[in-house]
Amino acid sequence: MYKLILKMAWKNSFMRLSRTLLVIIMIGVSMSMMLGIQGIYDGMVNNMVDKNRRSDSGDITIFAKDYRVNRDLLYRIKNVHEIKNEIQKMDGVEAVVLRIRADGLLSTARKSSFASVIGIDLKEEEHFGKFSEFLKEGTVDLQKQGAIIGVELAKTLKVRVGSKIIFSTQDGSGEINSIALYIRAIVQTTNIALDNSAIFIDIGQLHKFLGTASTEATQISIRGNGEKLYGELKSKYPNLDVKTFLELQPMIKQMQDLMVIFNSVTFFIVMSVVFVGIFGVMYVSILDRIREFGIMLSVGMHYKYIRLQIFFEALFVGLMGYLSGAVLGAVILVYLKNKGIDLSSFSDALEMWGYESVIHGTIKISYFTTTFASIITASLFSILIPLRKIKKLNPIEVIKADK
Amino acid sequence: MFKLALKNTLFYKGRSITTAVLTFVSTILFILFISLQDGSHNAMLENSLKIYTGAIEIYHRDYRDVGGNEYLIQDAKAITDKLAKIDAVEAFSTRYETYGLFSSKEYSAASMLAGVEPSKESVLSSLGTALKEGKFLDENAGNCIYMGAELVKKLKLGIGDEVAFVGSASDDSFAADIFKLCGVFKTGLFEFDSSASFVSRSYFDELMNGYNKASYITIKLKNIDDADIVNSQIIKVLDDENLESLTWKTLMKSMVEMMEIDSIFGYISLSLFLVVIFFVIMIYGFINISSRIKEFGVLRSIGLSKKNILLLLFYEIFILSTISVILATPIAAYICYYYNINPVVIKGIAEMYKDYGVVSDEIPFNFDMFTIFWNVAVVYILNFLSILYPYLYINSFKPIEATRHV
Amino acid sequence: MSKIILMTFIFATSLIAGEAHEIIKKLDENFRGKNIYMKLNMKIVSMGHERVMKMQSYSQGTKKSFVKIIYPPKDEGITFLSLDREMWQYVPKIERIIKIPPSMMLQKWMGSDITNDDMVKQSSIVEDYEPKIIKRDGSVVTIELTPKENAPVVWGKIILNIDTVTYTSHKDIFYDEEGKEVRYFIYKDVKKVGNYFIPTYWRVQSSDIAERYTEMVIEEVEYDTKISEEYFTKSALKRFSK
Repeated sequence: MYKLILKMAWKNSFMRLSRTLLVIIMIGVSMSMMLGIQGIYDGMVNNMVDKNRRSDSGDITIFAKDYRVNRDLLYRIKNVHEIKNEIQKMDGVEAVVLRIRADGLLSTARKSSFASVIGIDLKEEEHFGKFSEFLKEGTVDLQKQGAIIGVELAKTLKVRVGSKIIFSTQDGSGEINSIALYIRAIVQTTNIALDNSAIFIDIGQLHKFLGTASTEATQISIRGNGEKLYGELKSKYPNLDVKTFLELQPMIKQMQDLMVIFNSVTFFIVMSVVFVGIFGVMYVSILDRIREFGIMLSVGMHYKYIRLQIFFEALFVGLMGYLSGAVLGAVILVYLKNKGIDLSSFSDALEMWGYESVIHGTIKISYFTTTFASIITASLFSILIPLRKIKKLNPIEVIKADK
Repeated sequence: MFKLALKNTLFYKGRSITTAVLTFVSTILFILFISLQDGSHNAMLENSLKIYTGAIEIYHRDYRDVGGNEYLIQDAKAITDKLAKIDAVEAFSTRYETYGLFSSKEYSAASMLAGVEPSKESVLSSLGTALKEGKFLDENAGNCIYMGAELVKKLKLGIGDEVAFVGSASDDSFAADIFKLCGVFKTGLFEFDSSASFVSRSYFDELMNGYNKASYITIKLKNIDDADIVNSQIIKVLDDENLESLTWKTLMKSMVEMMEIDSIFGYISLSLFLVVIFFVIMIYGFINISSRIKEFGVLRSIGLSKKNILLLLFYEIFILSTISVILATPIAAYICYYYNINPVVIKGIAEMYKDYGVVSDEIPFNFDMFTIFWNVAVVYILNFLSILYPYLYINSFKPIEATRHV
Repeated sequence: MSKIILMTFIFATSLIAGEAHEIIKKLDENFRGKNIYMKLNMKIVSMGHERVMKMQSYSQGTKKSFVKIIYPPKDEGITFLSLDREMWQYVPKIERIIKIPPSMMLQKWMGSDITNDDMVKQSSIVEDYEPKIIKRDGSVVTIELTPKENAPVVWGKIILNIDTVTYTSHKDIFYDEEGKEVRYFIYKDVKKVGNYFIPTYWRVQSSDIAERYTEMVIEEVEYDTKISEEYFTKSALKRFSK
C-alpha cells in the first residue's frame, strides 16, 4: 500500500513537469545564492577574527594591571616562565606565548615614524598562530638583530627587506637607547594595529636592549578554549588583567552579532518567500486533481492515504529543490572558499579595516542542515491548507462538478 | 484587450492577489533597503564631513605626502579672495595644523595643534557641537585651547588647567607657550579625539608666525553633490600649479571605497530577495496560464495573434504591478521620508563603530525620488520578465491542441 | 718571500687603519678638547627666508653639554642640557623643563639642519664607525666612515675630508643606506686656539634642496677652562636661563 502511495506521489510530482521544475529551480537558485552570501559574510568576519587571534591576542590574553591603560613598559608581568608553565598544564590550553612590547621611534636617514617593537619567540609564535603565514616578502628569521616589519609601516618608512633601521626608546630604567635592526621580512597580518606600527624582533634581543629581565613580559597570550579556562585564569591570577579575545576586541564581537542577525533575517525572508512559492504550486496541483481525489475518496480510499500521498509529493519537491540547491550551493561555496572574490580594486579600504583584498568564503555544515530543516518544513506547511480543502470535500459533488 | 486583461485579473483572484502582494512586498522592501543603505552611507559621510574634513580642500602640492613648513600655503588671502567669488561655495576657512609636544605637570604627549577661525568653524564643521565640557573657542579666546577628550585623558587635565606646548613655528623657529584648557570635545572618532587640539587663529598666528599662512583651506559647498563640478571650477579660478584642490572623494578615499563594498554586498543580498520573489511571481503566472491553456487556444482560434496574447499577458501583469506599486510606493516613500527626518536611533551604534567613523546613533533613511523611481522601474522590469516563460509555454501549443487541452 | 710580502701588507693595512683611527680621534679632540666653551651665531636659511640665533655652549668630554640661547629676544633664555643620550630643555616662557622624548630626537634642533640626535650623539663618530682612508691629496686625507655592525646609527656612510696639518675637516658628506647623499657639512676659517685648531665657519647643507642650509660662525671659543660642574645638572637649566 505505502509503496503504491509512494509511487503515485512520485509520478504525480512530475505530472506537471515544468511547474515542478520551476519550483525546484526556485528553491535551488535561492538556496544556493543564500548559502553563497552567508559563506562570504562569515568568511570575511572569520578571517578577520582568525588573523587577529593568531597575530596578537589568542583566545585569552593576560596583562599586568594598568598596562592596557598606560601602555608603558613599567607595567610588566614578573615570573612569566612560572606562570607560563602553570597555564600550559591547565585543561584546554593549546599554546601559550610571551611577548614584550615597547613603543618608540623607528628611523632611517630620511624618515622616522612611531612604532612598537614586539619581542617574540618565533618558534612559539609559529606554534601559536602560524606566524610564517603572514609573510609577504623575505624570510622569517630574527637572528642577528633581524626584524620583521608590518607592511604599512614598511611603506611609511620606505624600507624593504635588507634595509637597516634604528629603533630608539626609553628602556626599562628610563634611559633613551637605540638599536640597529635589519629587516628580514615584511608581514601582512591584516591586524590593522600591527600592520601599521609593529616591528617584531627576537624576545631575548629585546630584553637585552631594554634591560628587562628575561622573566618579564608585557603580555601572555593563550590559545585554548572555554569559558571555564577563562574563569580559572581569572581566579588564579587576581593580580593580573585577564581578558578574552572578544573583551579586547568588542567591535569584532559586535560584528559577529550583527552578522548573525543579518543572516537570520535574510534566511527568514527567503524562506517565507520560498514557502509562498511551494504553497502556490502545491495548492494548484491539488485543486487540479480535486476530482481525482474525490473519486479516490468515493471508492473508499481513506483520507489518511490521500494525505500521505500529498505529503510525499510535497516532500519530493522540497527534497529535489533542496538537493539542487545544496549541490549548486556547495559548488558556489567551494569556489568562494578556494578562489574567493577579488576586491583588489578596493584594497586600500579593505586593508585599512583589516580585511583581505581577496575575500574567501567559509563552509559550515550548519548552512546545509538549517536550510534542509527549513525547506522541508516549508514544503510540509505548504500542504496544510490544500489538505483541509480535501478533507471538507463531498465526494459526490466533486465528481459531478465538471471542472 | 485591456478590458479583457482587467477581467482576467479579477477572475483569477488567487494569482492576482499573490502577485500583487508579492510585488507590493518587494517594492517596499526594495525601496526601504536601498533607502536605508544610502541613508546610512550618506550619514557616515556627512558626519565625517561635518566633523572636520571639508567637501573640498585646497593644499599646496606635496603637503599631504611630505608635509612640513615648506609646503604651507603662503598667501591664503589670495586664494580665499578667489573662493569668495564662487557661488556654489557656502563657506570656507583656513586651517593651520602643526605637531608638537604637549605636557601637563606629569604627562606629555605628541599631538596636532591647529589654528582655526572659530566663527567659521561653527558653520563648516561640528567641532563646536562636539563639545563635551567647558566651551568652544571664539575669536578672542586668547590662549584658550580646545582639546580632544582622549588627549585630555592622556594628559590628565581638567578644565582651566594649564598645558605647555613646544613645537616649531612657520619659519621653523622655536615655538612654546602655555595654553589654558577651555573646552573638551568628543567626536567619537578615536584617532581624532586622541590627537587633536585647537586654538583660535588670532592667537595661534602670533605664536607661530602664521599670518596669512595655512596648511590648507577647507570649503563647504551649498550642495555637496556638486563637489566635482565646483572643484574643477576652483582649479580653474586658482590657476596655480603648486596648489591642489581635492574633493572629499579623494580626501576620504578609504571610507568611500568601504561604502562601495558595503553597497555591493547590500545589492547582492537584495538581489537574492528579488530573485526569489521573481521566481514566485513567475511560478504563479505560470500556474495561472497553464490552467488557461484552453482559453488561450480559443482566443488564438478566433483570430488573436501571438502578439495579442503577449499584450494580453503584459496588460495583466501591468495591471497587477501597477496596483501594487501605486499602493506600495507612497507607503515606502512616506516611511523613507519619515525616517529621513526622524532617523532611527540605535543606542550604542556610535560606540560600536567609532573606528569606522560613525559618530551618531542615528541612522537616517535616504529620501530621493530618483532612487525610488528606479527601484520601482526594476520591480516593473522583473515582473514583465516573469511573463516571458509562461508566454513561451503557451506558444508551444498549437491553437487546436490548446483548445482540447485538459 | 711571499711571507714577507704578506707580512708587510698586513702591517701596512693595520698601520693605515690605525692611522685613520688616529686622525678621527684627533679630529674629535679638536672639536671638544677636555672641555670647550663657545659662543656662536647660527643662521638658518630655508624657504627663501633666514633666521639668526646666537647661543652659548658649554661641553665637557663627550657626554655632557649645556646650551643657552641668547638671541633673538623671543627665544632668549631657552636652555638645553644633554647628559649621555638624554636631553632636556627649559623654556622660560612656559617655565618648564621638558625631557625630549625619543620621538623628538630626530627632529630639527631649533629648526636648523642639525637634529637633536646630532647634538647628543657627538661621541658616536668615534665609537660607532669604522674609518678607512680612501684617498690622500697632499695634506688632505679622505676618510670613509662606515657604521660598525649593529651600530645604532642611521647613516649608510660618512665621508670626511680632513686636513692632517690642523686635524680639521673641510667637508663631511652624509649618505643614506642606499648610498644617496643626504646632507653635507662644510668647515672653513680654521683658527688656532691654544693647542687646538677649530674651523670657525660651519655650514650644514641639505643635498636635495639647495636653498636650505644652516650656517654657524663661532665668535668665541675657549678650551680647557674650568667649566663649573653645575652646568651639567638639571637645575642648571632654569638657573642659567637668566
